[in-house]
Amino acid sequence: MHLARLRLRDFRNYLRLDAEFVPGFHVLLGDNAQGKTNILEAIYLLATLRSFRGVGGTQMIRHDAKGYFVGATVVGAAPAEIKAYWSPRERKLSLNGNPVKRLADYLGTLRAVVFCTEDLQLVKGTSRVRRRFLDLLLSQTQPGYLTLLLRYTQALRNRNALLKQPQPDAEQLASFTAQLVSLGEQLMAARRTFTPKLSPLVRLAFRRIAADADELILEYQPSVAGDFAVALANSRARERVLKTTVIGPHRDELGMLVNGQPAGQFTSEGQKRTLALALKMAQAEYLTGIHGAPPVLLIDDVMGELDARRRAGLLPLLNQARRAGGQVFMTCTAENWPAELGREFVRWQVQGGTLAAV
Amino acid sequence: MTSLPEPVAHLVAALGRLPGIGPRSAERLALHLVQADPGQVRQLAESLVSARERVTHCERCGALTETQPCAVCGDDRRDAALLCVVERPLDILSLEKSGTFRGRYHSLGGKLSPLNGVGPEDLRIAELERRVPSESVKEVILALSSDVEGDATGHYLAKRLAAFGVRVSRIAQGLPAGSGLEFADELTLSRALEGRRELS
Repeated sequence: MHLARLRLRDFRNYLRLDAEFVPGFHVLLGDNAQGKTNILEAIYLLATLRSFRGVGGTQMIRHDAKGYFVGATVVGAAPAEIKAYWSPRERKLSLNGNPVKRLADYLGTLRAVVFCTEDLQLVKGTSRVRRRFLDLLLSQTQPGYLTLLLRYTQALRNRNALLKQPQPDAEQLASFTAQLVSLGEQLMAARRTFTPKLSPLVRLAFRRIAADADELILEYQPSVAGDFAVALANSRARERVLKTTVIGPHRDELGMLVNGQPAGQFTSEGQKRTLALALKMAQAEYLTGIHGAPPVLLIDDVMGELDARRRAGLLPLLNQARRAGGQVFMTCTAENWPAELGREFVRWQVQGGTLAAV
Repeated sequence: MTSLPEPVAHLVAALGRLPGIGPRSAERLALHLVQADPGQVRQLAESLVSARERVTHCERCGALTETQPCAVCGDDRRDAALLCVVERPLDILSLEKSGTFRGRYHSLGGKLSPLNGVGPEDLRIAELERRVPSESVKEVILALSSDVEGDATGHYLAKRLAAFGVRVSRIAQGLPAGSGLEFADELTLSRALEGRRELS
């Protein structure tokens, strides 16, 4: 699939942008703070309906504007026309002219994987970051997973509200516990079967780019050992003190072991970077394998930070995208891409919220 | 810039409190009303007041009614052994339109939702527990929404009603009549599969 057309109105520093993109490689050149990453952010937003910078909608509105608009034409199995408008008071999302009623119907219209400095949080950050990574990938590839996740979250929020009451009604708690258990077990089962499928891809990607012959294993570490219902019942005493649900899929961890050691604590800074990159490469490869077409790759200034070896490791993925008629968007401050990538680029100059083909 | 005359601003504010009416619609309605034929507006005002004054909740089932008890509760030909529990009075109308249910109804007035501060005491559950033995109900049919709160409410009621030895059932979930599989979402389809029936 590829993004054929992008339209921005009042998005970040773009008052107005209308651009057309062919399949292949696009390099966005420009000085810092000119709006290169904002373009990647807009594309990612259309794919996932959130920002990869971890900010809410308000921050993406151009200064003094009421709301932003992002529109796109995506050419995939079938062409899709996306229009998204966001303001603090109003949210509109339409696909081919029809308002989107269910998130599950929309996600998958545009698939994108972003490589950015924030990726490092996948290794350094809390388990929430890794759960989100897992959830996003499962939502993009497994029908029904998103619905399940949303229902689980709703059951959890209700149950936590109940636990915050001075004297939670036991029968009522049991009813929401039953919902939580049934939905939670399905979530855990999905994560448990999925992790072993992703792990070899991450291991291969890691081996390709890591300097040493380190072994990487991805491991699903559920917060619940054994039966969820039993474990919940056993955690009642702690729940009474903390007034919240202390175990369940919302506390799961995606463990990463380098040579048998937890990656977050033992690896060097450079290794953490390699690991984060490997996770993202595996994500892109997994999506390609499932859907038969590579996702749009968004690469934010990463190339500059990587040494030759890691850059070279990224090459197969980029070449695959090229061969399969996919699309890659890369931001750079200078023309510092590796010579081995060839010279077939579409160059764009980004300056003060404008985009011009060079 | 001149602002709206005060009576109009009041009207806009009052209309804006209605469900589904945003500030824009409220303004449009208000401006329409203050320019409309006075007779028509008076008629509208009178029907608003009289509808509100004449319609109450049926003391027994919670349906909207002009009489006590409501037409369904007062109908002796209805099967008192079957009691269908719904969330809102409106749901009774939907079920009545289908014309297939011959039992009686009980509206809870909502569903359990700790997030919105709705607990069992806010619902007409105590009334339900009085009705089940006093009306010799044999089966309680739960016709609640299929979201997390609706499912939890169903679970809760089934437990509470277990003490009365009545049969508690839930309406089936599955495909809308006359539509194909291609429009159904995954959850509906998996529940439809779970609730499959043998063809004989």
